[in-house]
Amino acid sequence: MSTPGPATPRSLESDVMSDADDVDEDVDEAQKEREAMLAKEADDFVNKFTLGKRLQSDDKGKELRRYDAATGFFRKRDYSQIPLKPNHQQCPLWIDPENFTIILERFHPAAQKATDFLTTIAEPRSRPTFLHEYVLTMHSLYAAVSVGLRPKDIIDTLDRFLKTPLPPAVRMKIEETTKKYGKVKLVLKKNKYYVESVDAKILQILLKDEVIGALRVHGSDTTSFAPTMGGLVIPGTQNAAGVHQANLKQQDKKSDEEQGATASEGDLFATLNEEEDDDDKEAVHAFEILDNSVETVQKRCLDIGFPILEEYDFRNDDVNPNLEIDLRPNTQIRPYQEKSLSKMFGNGRAKSGIIVLPCGAGKTLVGITAACTIKKGVIVLCTSSMSVQQWRQEFLKWSNINPDDIAIFTAESKNKFSSSTGIIVTTYSMVTNSRERSHDSKKMMDFLRGREWGLMLLDEVHVVPAEMFRRVISSIKSHSKLGLTATLLREDDKISDLNFLIGPKLYEANWMELSQQGHIAKVQCAEVWCPMPTEFYDQYLRADGRMKRTLYAMNPRKFQACQYLINYHEKRGDKIIVFSDELYSLKQYALKLKKVFIYGGTSQSERMHVLENFQHNPDVNTLFLSKIGDTSLDLPEATCLIQISSHFGSRRQEAQRLGRILRAKRRNDEGFNAFFYSLVSKDTQEMYYSSKRQAFLVDQGYAFKVITQLANIEQTPDLAFSTPQEMRELLQRTLVDNDKGVEEDVETDDLFGKVGGGGGRRKKGNGGLAGVRRMAGTLGELSGGQDMAYIEQNKAANKALKKPKKGENQSAFFKKLQREKEKAKQATRAAK
Amino acid sequence: MVRAIRGVLIECEPAIKSIIVHLDSANNDIIIEDLDEQHLVVKENMVHVLKQKLEDRLKETYRPEEPLADSD
Amino acid sequence: MSLAPQSYQLSDYLEKLPGTTFRKLYQQPSTAFAIFRRMLPALAKVFVQALLYMPSPMLLSELDVWVRAEGKMQRDRALSILRSLHIIQITPPGKDKPQELQLTTNFKNSLRLALEGGGTHSSFGVPSTLPVDPRIDIAHLDNYARKKWEDILHYVVNSVPVHGEGGGAGSGAGGPKASVKDLLLAGRLVERRSDTRGGVGITQAGFTFLLQEAGAQVWTLLLLWLEAADHSKAQQGQQAAAAESKPDSIDMLSFLFMLASLELGRAYDTDALTETRRNMLPALVDFGLIYIPREDTRQYFPTRLATTLTSGASALRSVSSGFAAATTNTSGDTSSLGTTAADAPSSKGFIIIETNYRVYAYTSSPLQIAVLALFTQLNMRFAGMVTGRLTRDSIRRAIGFGITADQIISYLAAHAHEQMVRAAAATGRPVLPPTVVDQIRLWQLENERMRTTAGFLFKDFDTPDEYAALCSYAEEIGVLVWKSDRRKMFFASKMEQLRDYLKSRKKAE
Repeated sequence: MSTPGPATPRSLESDVMSDADDVDEDVDEAQKEREAMLAKEADDFVNKFTLGKRLQSDDKGKELRRYDAATGFFRKRDYSQIPLKPNHQQCPLWIDPENFTIILERFHPAAQKATDFLTTIAEPRSRPTFLHEYVLTMHSLYAAVSVGLRPKDIIDTLDRFLKTPLPPAVRMKIEETTKKYGKVKLVLKKNKYYVESVDAKILQILLKDEVIGALRVHGSDTTSFAPTMGGLVIPGTQNAAGVHQANLKQQDKKSDEEQGATASEGDLFATLNEEEDDDDKEAVHAFEILDNSVETVQKRCLDIGFPILEEYDFRNDDVNPNLEIDLRPNTQIRPYQEKSLSKMFGNGRAKSGIIVLPCGAGKTLVGITAACTIKKGVIVLCTSSMSVQQWRQEFLKWSNINPDDIAIFTAESKNKFSSSTGIIVTTYSMVTNSRERSHDSKKMMDFLRGREWGLMLLDEVHVVPAEMFRRVISSIKSHSKLGLTATLLREDDKISDLNFLIGPKLYEANWMELSQQGHIAKVQCAEVWCPMPTEFYDQYLRADGRMKRTLYAMNPRKFQACQYLINYHEKRGDKIIVFSDELYSLKQYALKLKKVFIYGGTSQSERMHVLENFQHNPDVNTLFLSKIGDTSLDLPEATCLIQISSHFGSRRQEAQRLGRILRAKRRNDEGFNAFFYSLVSKDTQEMYYSSKRQAFLVDQGYAFKVITQLANIEQTPDLAFSTPQEMRELLQRTLVDNDKGVEEDVETDDLFGKVGGGGGRRKKGNGGLAGVRRMAGTLGELSGGQDMAYIEQNKAANKALKKPKKGENQSAFFKKLQREKEKAKQATRAAK
Repeated sequence: MVRAIRGVLIECEPAIKSIIVHLDSANNDIIIEDLDEQHLVVKENMVHVLKQKLEDRLKETYRPEEPLADSD
Repeated sequence: MSLAPQSYQLSDYLEKLPGTTFRKLYQQPSTAFAIFRRMLPALAKVFVQALLYMPSPMLLSELDVWVRAEGKMQRDRALSILRSLHIIQITPPGKDKPQELQLTTNFKNSLRLALEGGGTHSSFGVPSTLPVDPRIDIAHLDNYARKKWEDILHYVVNSVPVHGEGGGAGSGAGGPKASVKDLLLAGRLVERRSDTRGGVGITQAGFTFLLQEAGAQVWTLLLLWLEAADHSKAQQGQQAAAAESKPDSIDMLSFLFMLASLELGRAYDTDALTETRRNMLPALVDFGLIYIPREDTRQYFPTRLATTLTSGASALRSVSSGFAAATTNTSGDTSSLGTTAADAPSSKGFIIIETNYRVYAYTSSPLQIAVLALFTQLNMRFAGMVTGRLTRDSIRRAIGFGITADQIISYLAAHAHEQMVRAAAATGRPVLPPTVVDQIRLWQLENERMRTTAGFLFKDFDTPDEYAALCSYAEEIGVLVWKSDRRKMFFASKMEQLRDYLKSRKKAE
């Protein structure tokens, strides 16, 4: 029922990387083995959690409690017998001792403090207006520990905020979880790998372990003091301004301390035993392991229940050259950006993990600031060559990096940086697609593999298949990894994999809060119900899955609603993006309404041109986009979004698309609202998908208003398909056009995929079809006069934009545009 | 000769009628007379089954309730 | 749409009574006073006060001097209420004589008596001269009344068919007296059903009843009781002419008004009551309106349920909520945030509903939880707070029992937590999230997508005339449901009369 029909290509599911399923060819054996190993580890890691969970609920399930007449309504979840503390009025939290759901009163005076605490230790589940829900999970506790919270801190703070005494089960859960996690760290110091722990007992266990013990470098054991934030200043923050200069000079002094306490093996045990109960000093014990044994040790530690946290002591790394980079002097980062980075650099070292910020909230700046903090070689991985360009520009905009030190590795550009270190910006597919690599690419890959990177920035981590990560991470060495994303939602539930491959989630922003503070736009969301004319609906009932989707997209009443909304919002001065996953309807709508559009098959230059017009031309206010525009498309002009067809029940796509208007330039105008419309055909599966898609946003506090009737829609000038005759013709044409074959347009999600994204695929031999994947027929095969006509029109629609530019009589507008471009170029040059 | 046929008059939106017609098309065992876009007469003994089938059919247009377990 | 739910309000009931009944009612100063005090809008009271000691009727036109032009609407409303309660008489408009206005005799006399305290009437109850047990204080009475009333509400709530393991508890132990159960059955708040634990199932009127304010609930039950008494008297009357021992509804009503004028916490003398009224006592005890100590049946104590009976519609909420605050505090848990009698003498709303349909209710009361469970999918319960969610299933289930979307919405609105009220006031938005309100309505609409009518399809007419004649006859006798002149067909809900008509028509030809 809810599963896509058989005609659905798999690549739709794995979205961005439409070539994900041919990743596995032509990969050398060793690589495969490594990946297999990583895959298994991830599974083990995940399984541990599910197992623990099951055991726990089994114990509790047997109890049957009944306190009063109302207990029965709650199955086993009546916790009303846990008494309230005498001062419960001062406390904002409840916790459910079985599933660890935490409920927070947002209207409580202590709510802000509690919120900060909860975002660190728990997973947000529901954040509307008055009461928020969080859940303690293994992952969230793991993340809490990894950013430096001690179990005792977690327990005490939680206890302080709770209205009831801390239930023993919660205490146990926290202790159990944190006992295993975060106790062992892998630290790369002066290019030597150390296994480190504050808990001497654990280190003893490791040393006695047959596998790990054998990999120890003898005579390397040290004891030192736990690292602290001490002196580290994240650039762009309030502190940064003054401390910065003074701090740089001190760095060298420190490194000597750590080497002080070298001891023999025997002595080490003695030392460990002495200190085992003495936690307060926070002494850190460490031993070195052989360089080539890192993975083995990591894996072994996981097997024996002490997963290793990776930390990068970049301030004491004098092997890798420093990168000359800092934020530009007047760059100030926002409080939530600072908060997220302080999680990453909490103890003065760089921890690996994921930061979750809604689109438009400045993820890129967070990544750049991280790079400016670490000041070592950086590799940035993006989902498209368009975002490669954007990342590089952002680096140049926000930081003082020498333009020669930031290079791009895409299909058409394979530069290295000139100095000893620098920044490389590339795409996931460039570094994972090992087939038919050109000589240049090979050389470039060798360059990437041969180095030690200080920071690996992973953009849009939620859209990249786990196998791809695995390949990236196992082939390119980096000391720390920072994943960036707008949402950790994956319909394939592979988030656990991400936690293992990259690191825990360090921070997740609250959408509503950011929007109230004006960092992202306020959005009005609506779902517009469009009934289907009877004849359409009759066909719909009879159609197969593929045709059903075409029919509910082509519903003439939906078309009218779209037309009405475009009219309405263009008049208000909005810039509108209309999204359609369904290519046929995308084109039909755009052509009929005479609007510009971009889809997978649109050529590179045409795309640029259309986008430029949408951004600057006051006559081009509506842009139709296929799902290639879901991500990595920065259009701060857009203020209104209309969805006419979307990808099943993808909550992630919904969140991403909403993200297209959160950046709206005008967001801080008085009373400004962006608009998000989802048009759905009534009584079709689309209704089901639509509400499923909204689930994530609704839990973020967005409210979708259902509109069943658009006022005075029938008075829209030139309303399309306003007679039964026209509707019938539309139906006939839709059926004929789509019945020819099981044609399916599949595109890369890479907006600029033709050029950059599929470096390998472009040379596959289907030359003319680059960017559009062939499934079982192509658009070209849809013969028939109407079809031809529409291809002609198709050209004409976007072409209309081109004419003035080519001709002599270039309009004032384009001249101005040209001038602005020149200016920008000069500015960039000046910056160099 | 005038006839009076026992049955149940159904008054509904066109979409619902379409679904009923569609359900009937399998065995032609539901509808007695198709009156207009929003009316039809069906067999009395089929009303219960029809309501059930209709509900099933419409179910795919609603989001199933997600379990309240917040424990994944 | 569904039938108007069967719910009684005192004013509705009174307005249906004939003038003779009012004349009898107003013989009691307590009744006249209670109605004056609690059932009249301010302007109407002013009129009554002015007319009370006027020696002769007043010209209607003189009223215009008292009321500003823009207050004409209120004036008319006040007059219409006074007339419907038979407090004033207005002479019919005539050509020769201007319209005059005066108080009805009985009302005037009784109200004067009530205000002057004259006469020997025991209309306001005779305080007991016997020693009073000091343990019977207001708290004791509140507790007692709450227990009695909650038993009744629980009985109705628990008659909801049980799904899974939720709900349904406590109906066996205790509960209201059999006579009260019979009354609930007779009043069709519940009906006999085999699929429930207690053997009865809630009706739509029952749902309406549950979602009402406490004060309105009490009247609903009392009026059902009055009707039942009338009914049985009428039946007896057919058999035996004299059935005087049965209290008639007028005297019963007078007694209720008298109770409403009594003082909470004070003991009154049962011996001073008429036999009719004494006969009413056991039932009033069962409802929790009065308390009679087991040791000394010569005393009765009105409870808060009785003394607030004639609170005006607007006053009703606050008074009943004072009581509701008491009823909330069941398990001796005085700690729940903002909902207990201790820290909230006037009950605040306790329900928070979020835009993502999650429901949080600050309550410990099993009864409030049970009412919520009627339309909410409950999830967790903590001391003083429960969580749940409005879902399509939970709302549709409620709708399936006859509860309406509007009832749910108004219940949620009436009990919205002060945080919601405050946030709404600050942003100028409605208290309940509009999207949630819309969705509840949409869920109800889903249920109404197909209307069925059993009957007969008439087709294959011999002549257009025959069709036209039979069709219009069907319309005449009110059985026509649908017709198509073009297709010469119609659908009728019944056929017997049509068949006969057709036969006679054939014969005539």
